[in-house]
Amino acid sequence: MFKISTFLPWTSLPYLILFFFSLPIIIVLSSLLGDWSENWIHLYNYVLFDYISTSIYLVLGVSILVLVIGTVTAWLICSYEFYGKRFFEWALILPLSIPPYILAYTFTGLFDSYGTANNLIRVIFNLDTSFILFPNVRNTLGAIVVFAFTLYPYVYLVSRSAFLNQSQSMLEAGRMLGLNKVQIFYKLGLPIIRPGLIGGLMLVIMETLSDFGAVDHFAVQTFTTGIFRTWYGMYDLSTAMQLASLLLLFVGLFFIFERISRKKARYTSNTSTFRPPKINQLSGIKSCAASLVCFIPIFIGFLLPVSELTIWAFQYNLDFFNHKFITTMTNTISLAIIAAILCASFALLINFSIRLKKNTLSVTSNSLLSMGYAVPGLILAVGIVQLFAWLDKSIFNDTRIILTGSLAGLVFAYVIKSYALANSTFESGFERISRSIDDSAKTLNSGGLNLLRRVHFPLLKTSFLTSILLVTSEVVKELPATLILRPFNFDTLAVSTYIYAAEERMIQASAPAIAIVITGLIPIIILTKMIRSSRPTGR
Amino acid sequence: MHKLLKLTSQLILLTLLMSTSIASEVNIYTSRHYDSDEALYAEFTKTTGIQVNVISGSGNALMERLKAEGDTSPADIFFTVDAGNLWRVQKEGYFKSINSKKINEIVPNNLRGPNDEWIAIAKRARVVFYNPDNTSIEELSNLSYEDLADPRWNGGIAIRSSNNMYNQSLVASLITNHGIELTEKWAKGLVANFIRKPQGNDRAQIIAVANGEAKLAVANSYYVGIMLSGSAGNDQLEAAKKVKIYFPNQDNRGAHINISGAGILKYAPNSHNAIKFLEFLLSERVQRYMVNLSFEYPVLENIEPHPSIAQFGLTFKEDQTSVADYGKYNLNAVQLMDRAGWQ
Repeated sequence: MFKISTFLPWTSLPYLILFFFSLPIIIVLSSLLGDWSENWIHLYNYVLFDYISTSIYLVLGVSILVLVIGTVTAWLICSYEFYGKRFFEWALILPLSIPPYILAYTFTGLFDSYGTANNLIRVIFNLDTSFILFPNVRNTLGAIVVFAFTLYPYVYLVSRSAFLNQSQSMLEAGRMLGLNKVQIFYKLGLPIIRPGLIGGLMLVIMETLSDFGAVDHFAVQTFTTGIFRTWYGMYDLSTAMQLASLLLLFVGLFFIFERISRKKARYTSNTSTFRPPKINQLSGIKSCAASLVCFIPIFIGFLLPVSELTIWAFQYNLDFFNHKFITTMTNTISLAIIAAILCASFALLINFSIRLKKNTLSVTSNSLLSMGYAVPGLILAVGIVQLFAWLDKSIFNDTRIILTGSLAGLVFAYVIKSYALANSTFESGFERISRSIDDSAKTLNSGGLNLLRRVHFPLLKTSFLTSILLVTSEVVKELPATLILRPFNFDTLAVSTYIYAAEERMIQASAPAIAIVITGLIPIIILTKMIRSSRPTGR
Repeated sequence: MHKLLKLTSQLILLTLLMSTSIASEVNIYTSRHYDSDEALYAEFTKTTGIQVNVISGSGNALMERLKAEGDTSPADIFFTVDAGNLWRVQKEGYFKSINSKKINEIVPNNLRGPNDEWIAIAKRARVVFYNPDNTSIEELSNLSYEDLADPRWNGGIAIRSSNNMYNQSLVASLITNHGIELTEKWAKGLVANFIRKPQGNDRAQIIAVANGEAKLAVANSYYVGIMLSGSAGNDQLEAAKKVKIYFPNQDNRGAHINISGAGILKYAPNSHNAIKFLEFLLSERVQRYMVNLSFEYPVLENIEPHPSIAQFGLTFKEDQTSVADYGKYNLNAVQLMDRAGWQ
């Protein structure tokens, strides 16, 4: 009896949290039960299949590219010593501070027929204005590049930490069996990091699918632009929500497929025989090549957009950086940190409870909440607005509205939107803690809260901090929910950027956009500090 | 960790309590974003003592917030660009008649919603841009929107995506005048004349004309003003200097007009202040100030737009098609453009 009562909070509280936070997603999904309007016939006849095929093409392209960039760079960093490696190790996550839509804007500014890059080439080689060297980026291929180079850090981060945690003994075994370097990479290196890798890839896919800003700017008609066209153009929100639900179900299928395929395998290494992997020195051309491979993603995903934004910001007067800027920045940072701490705490609690007692309901609802990341921001925001309005009316029963337009409501929205980031960090974190530790703890009568506080939490400190930082940098970039849920006269940096970018006045938008990047860099830099000190061997 | 949680919850409570209301205020939901707006609000507060509270965002999303809030909504005014959006808010029943003799005297009938539920604050025309170096004014004589589907403009027309509400409104106005079938035929002809898959904003189309990539571009009038002001960078300034505006349909119904407009919400807690604010926006001084910064056309007839827009002509004929129709036919317009392959 004693045991049941100590376990109770850890089995019921997470359900409550999960249920509450899943409500907006359930509201979106419930649209499937409503009437299906005639507009479906039109969509089916003329545009739906284009939307679907473009989205699939986009997701496949982005997936392949992020997997290649993320794992190859991580493998190089973890297995070799080469020129500039210490710099690349942390600099590779810098692109995480650039929202895809900002990279898209800078790409068109650079590569349009009369953009900076083409103009520069014409000036340097004194060519005619009809000469165009760089190809048009406003197409699906351009969008693939934009997403891949802003999102690959998710894959890089998980691959890197998994490669670092793999044991040297296994690699030696591979070498003795006659595998060459490349074979070792994909026969031993890749399979061992698979769970983390898929988690990271899922984040990339969900963000790619839910994005509106970048694809809209490139005039690429994806499923999500279709959702907004249906809502804005056909004035049909319910069909738009049904489309969004279908997108969610599609992502849900992915989740299920992935769960089933890894059900049997457990990926914890036996800690007693763990030996950190040996690092090989690369020399000469090989060292340069490795540096180049690591430099390219940083250049495209970070240096290029930041320099273009800086040039723009200086062309325009820097009025933006005034007293209002300080308020806006403070708003952004404080909201982001509050949301991130809440998000990380919930994810820790829920994943802990799932580890204690795994059942279908908890796993399913946890996945459902994670899928919030795949819902286009404004659609999710509409779900949240409807939930808040309902709560305000039925629970608070006040003539004044409380949750809608309050900062608490905004934080709530951020938690839902970014839960997937915190969750995937903890999922792979828990995955790496051997079950035998739990068993030993239990034999020492250390269960429930004690197990979490004394055993798991110390082992998960990195996961906790990582998820806080990932969520912070995500919230700094977050726009749609902020736009419609915020209180009067309340701006965040993303809102300031949007106000100009909505009219595609990118030169004016560049100052707040740089501010987003700088603010987003703060958590990223802390993360990089952690990365530097997180090598198991300690250097 | 516990300390952090405690701190967080205290912070949230504190911010919740901060949202107390001020005695005299007016609350605005707007999808119009200009640097100049803030100065305008400050000026209103200075002259009337009424505090202006603003949330700006996408019009469609703000409308969902409005609907969810229902009769508890704090919003007094819904301010947006494109008449279609205003029509929708009215159709959902969220506006009420604006009871102001002063406003009704100023704003002409075609720039008002049914039942006086919303009004135009400023106007813009969707016009044709050309570069006199490549296209002579003779080639354009009596050009109409309808002519843009003529095969003689094959491979010569730049226009943005059909996702854009200004294009949707233009097509809706053609539906009002010609019906769906003829307009669809027109759209197919227009698509065949595109120089490229629609991409970029209105200014990108103007730049395409300036560079000689396209012969004609369809874009909103005020963009050339913004470009000429230099605030959008030197490249855009140089491009804008090369182009001219041609006002279509001058020998029949006139150039397509759209509006920035506003209405007062049914559950507005501060209706009286809201009327004051709209009257303020329609006063001579404010109209002059607004159009000088936004490069739109004023609603007041005795005021001139900014010189960089005025140079292209002020006496052009405006289409009198009711702007309310844009909303009515928007769905048809979008579907028609899908069928015509206008991306």
